[in-house]
Amino acid sequence: MRDSIGERIAPYAYIAPFFLIFAVFGLFPLLFTFYVALFDWNPVGEHTFVGLDNFARLFDDPRFWNAMRNTIGIWFLSTVPQLLIALGIAHLLNHTRLRFATLFRMSMLVPYITSVAATTVVFAQLFDRDYGLLNWVLHLIGVGPVNFAQSTWGSQLMIATMVIWRWTGYTTLLYLASLQAISRDIYEAASVDGAGNWKQFRYITIPSLRPVIVFTIVTSTIGGLQIFTEPLLVSRSAPLTCGPVRQCQTLTLFLFEQGFGQFKFGYGAAIGVSLFILVVAFALLNFLLSTRIRREKP
Amino acid sequence: MRSRIAVAIAAAVTLAAAGCSGGGSGNDGGDQKSFEFWSFSGINQKAAVDEYQQKHPDIHIKLTEVGSSVETAQALTTALAGGKVPDLVLIQGDDLPKFVEQPQNFVDLRSLGADDVKKDYLDWVWSQSVAKDGEVLGVPTDVGGLAIAYRTDLFAAAKLPTDRDAVSKLWPTWDKFIEVGKQYKAATGKPFVDNASTSVFYQAVNQGDMKFYDADRNLAYDHSPQVKEAFDYALTAAQAGITAKLSSFSEGWSAGMAKGDFAVLAAPSWMLGGIRSNAPATKGKWDIATIPGGAGNWGGSYLAIPKNAKNQQAAWNYIKEMQSPQSQLAHYVGSGSLPSTPAVYKDAQLTSHKDPFFSNAPTGKIYTESLLGLKPFYIGPDSSAIGQEFQNVLTNVEQGKGDPGTAWDTALKNIKTAIGK
Repeated sequence: MRDSIGERIAPYAYIAPFFLIFAVFGLFPLLFTFYVALFDWNPVGEHTFVGLDNFARLFDDPRFWNAMRNTIGIWFLSTVPQLLIALGIAHLLNHTRLRFATLFRMSMLVPYITSVAATTVVFAQLFDRDYGLLNWVLHLIGVGPVNFAQSTWGSQLMIATMVIWRWTGYTTLLYLASLQAISRDIYEAASVDGAGNWKQFRYITIPSLRPVIVFTIVTSTIGGLQIFTEPLLVSRSAPLTCGPVRQCQTLTLFLFEQGFGQFKFGYGAAIGVSLFILVVAFALLNFLLSTRIRREKP
Repeated sequence: MRSRIAVAIAAAVTLAAAGCSGGGSGNDGGDQKSFEFWSFSGINQKAAVDEYQQKHPDIHIKLTEVGSSVETAQALTTALAGGKVPDLVLIQGDDLPKFVEQPQNFVDLRSLGADDVKKDYLDWVWSQSVAKDGEVLGVPTDVGGLAIAYRTDLFAAAKLPTDRDAVSKLWPTWDKFIEVGKQYKAATGKPFVDNASTSVFYQAVNQGDMKFYDADRNLAYDHSPQVKEAFDYALTAAQAGITAKLSSFSEGWSAGMAKGDFAVLAAPSWMLGGIRSNAPATKGKWDIATIPGGAGNWGGSYLAIPKNAKNQQAAWNYIKEMQSPQSQLAHYVGSGSLPSTPAVYKDAQLTSHKDPFFSNAPTGKIYTESLLGLKPFYIGPDSSAIGQEFQNVLTNVEQGKGDPGTAWDTALKNIKTAIGK
């Protein structure tokens, strides 16, 4: 009798550490953010209950909607090319006749393990108005100079490029892992039937990768909506707004500006709650779309 | 990417809530034989600490270099909210107002004898750490001073004088400064100054006695003549095309400095080290002239003692001894940071100091003189936000994206949104 109770409890005991840590460092801060969002909360001063005032102000705040637009813009500019490029590279790396395959596969991870701050500084130089490599190339073909950092689309493109640079390798390896799980026989059979490279890619590779594609879309969406370090570091004169007209200020950066720059923790928490709702909405949308994709038969 | 800021902010707030019970006041728990000191990295506070410990072998100082000045202020915020605080902390001038606004977190240094040493310090520097009921929260450790660093070779090429006294005479006012800029531009076709928002607005707005708040600590940014004037100088400079449109401390700015893309920039004393490292090949081609308007300051820090510190007396003894005029002078000789104590400004060790990188300019003399003409003004909780919004609008005009005709109104509107009143 005793043993069976022990056996019944054991699995829960094994997974308990995760849930305990999650409760302390994940769930509690989350709920507490909801609580703080109802206050005018100075971290070293007074806390005054204001109800939903922070949210009312937020929805009237042009800076919030600007940050929302920027976040979604940067997310779109970075996620779509990233997933497409990763798919292409994974397909190439999976080629049977590729030599030094392991070397190439491992090198895909180099951007991922490079410090974000270092990457950002280097990219900011590449995109520089006067001495940037990119403007030098544009100059050779008679264009420019383009002031990337000061324009809305330019600064967002710059940040999206950094995100693509950093995450494409990681996504590629995820795709590659599931590509290797596809049996060679299917490809050989397709070859025998006269299917070329493109047709094999379209009708064998992509359908087999569907689950992992869905997974990468979900994770890169959640990550993309929380992008922070790159916009913080690209503008040295106005770091918390990512430039003079908040041209690339994301929601997380706006949250940080209000919370830690201005000491308005309540308002910052309200931004955090809004971001949370946005992420949940995107995740639900993803879920609905991906269940539809999964049901479609190849 | 994927950094969990929402979680981080919540965690910090959690600490705040958890720490509300944080311990009693004052000198109960400490032994006064040791104290904990938080400072920034990169300013060699260790030298002063070592010196003090050598003189007082019975005192043990636990020095922590938290990080940059901003990171130190953030760590202090968390510590104050959490209740576990250092005994002594260094706060950079830009971060100070947020703490001065909440004086209950710090020891009123008058209770330890601050009134006796007040006379040693520049009054306007001292006043910035005084809270609303007169509480003194910090003692100034150093100041920045202000001057214009200029390139003698580029001035010669533009047929402008190169001697530092003659150059200083070119621009007694900001209007004249802009005129010289236009001459330079006409002669060389190149921009004169690095940017309008930092080198003109940010400097001119500090020259007077009413900045963003009036003497009664009410908001005055929208009707203070000093603010409007500074804004218009910067707008004129931006429209005259004499600025290189390079934001201070950006990558392009550092590169432009090395390549001579602009001939002058506003340079407080601590900026000189930056010029040296950004443009090592320009050694001897720089000199230093006085700032238009005659006086200015940018930067400086304060030492403060949190209310819940255990070794307040030990920390105060350290402040009193290491921030005395003579100690600040000794620190200047060693590190170059400018004393906040005018009594030593005539000392030969300071006045005789010359900098070979800047054509042997007497930097000690030039910078201390720039500090004497300043007047006290109140820096409030929203000062940094207001200043940032003004600068952002100016930068946008300078970049050719904002309309100069509506710039002032845009700035006022943005400020209202930013500070919520």
